[in-house]
Amino acid sequence: MPVRKIVITGVLAAIAILLGYTRLGFIPVPNLAGNATIMHVPAIIGGVLEGSLVGALIGGIFGLFSFLQATTPVFKNPIVAIVPRLLIGIFAYFTYVGLKRVNEYAALAAAGVVGSLANTIFVLALAGIFALIPWEAMIPIIPQAIAEAIIAAIITVAVVAAWKGIESGAGGAKKV
Amino acid sequence: MEEFEISRNITIGQYLALGSFIHKMDPRAKLLSFALLVAAITFSASYAANAILLLVVFALVPFSKIPLRYALSGLKPALPIVLLLAALQILFYTSGFAGGANCVAFFRWGPIDSNTCGVQLAIVSAARFVELLVLTSLLTFSTTVTELTLGTEQLLVPLQRFNFPAHELALTMTIALRFIPTFAEELERIMKAQVSRGADLGGQGRLRFVQQTRALLPLIVPLFLSALRRAEDLILAMEARCYVGGKGRTHFLELTLKRRDVMALFAVLAFTVALLVFPLAF
Repeated sequence: MPVRKIVITGVLAAIAILLGYTRLGFIPVPNLAGNATIMHVPAIIGGVLEGSLVGALIGGIFGLFSFLQATTPVFKNPIVAIVPRLLIGIFAYFTYVGLKRVNEYAALAAAGVVGSLANTIFVLALAGIFALIPWEAMIPIIPQAIAEAIIAAIITVAVVAAWKGIESGAGGAKKV
Repeated sequence: MEEFEISRNITIGQYLALGSFIHKMDPRAKLLSFALLVAAITFSASYAANAILLLVVFALVPFSKIPLRYALSGLKPALPIVLLLAALQILFYTSGFAGGANCVAFFRWGPIDSNTCGVQLAIVSAARFVELLVLTSLLTFSTTVTELTLGTEQLLVPLQRFNFPAHELALTMTIALRFIPTFAEELERIMKAQVSRGADLGGQGRLRFVQQTRALLPLIVPLFLSALRRAEDLILAMEARCYVGGKGRTHFLELTLKRRDVMALFAVLAFTVALLVFPLAF
């Protein structure tokens, strides 16, 4: 692993952990899950910027911390807490690479949405398989999943566009 | 200004220096034992196995000298969700868990299907949660983050033969832990900057999530950008010093496996295998 990848992984993982510690990464919502989260966004951004391995590692570190600090039974299961998080960055990376040629912005937004949905879907699927949440009880989580995906897309576009200095005419920051 | 004091209120890791048997264990043996016990908990679904596991986990607490109050500190905030999930499990679980076809139904009405399997699932899930809560507390209260990182690295070293980046992974963890306080300070500065420009960072409240999300963006985006900028500096510094990781690197701390570490590990291994191999009827 080149130095660049190691450092970017460490730095973005630090943000994911910090968002958890400060509770800033949790947005309280009125449903069973209790919180919408943006803690998976560093994994998406890592995947987009430095490739699938970096994205997977950031997700793995985020998952490990979410397992060790979990306050709900769902994430006190190592498989539910860690495995889906490895996939966030991988899905985000391949979405971004696939769509980059069409439109950079669209690719970034899509990577945010896909990475976020990968997190939600795989966590819920494993929670369902491990019988932690009944399938019927997952319906109220759908609006939250959509909201998380939109927030992740906005942050991904804002951060990566600003970082890469993509020319955007009217100014990238204002669009967001 | 108190709400912006982030860096002061952050404690990384929850280490309690108590010098107990579990504290003094070699981090490699401790991590392996932890993983084995987590596997045992995750894969046992019967009442009897979970009763045994509960006993074992609570019996381990005195070995760490950690006050039980500390070990169970995560339980109270989680209680509402645990109870809610239990209620859902009892109401909706049709079959296919543990007892399988041996479920005895209480009543059925539309999608609601209440049976003994649902009850067993609810009780076992709650027990598992308590077991894992105590076990992770034991690990995090008795091991410093440095020990955890070093232990993980040493455990993964054999995989380096297959090009698995064990050393790099440990370095990544170290960098992450090193930067958390820095970013906390950075976040504090960004918050103050935004508030001084009239930003409303939003109060807490379950029904204000749109406002909260909107308030979050002017904090998160600058935080990411400043983090990436710091990353560039660090990359430059490391490359300028010709950093090469991996093979041949020595450590400041050298781990030595003592006899009691090996014995403790074997005891845990024997227990886990016994619990998972022998079927418990109830």
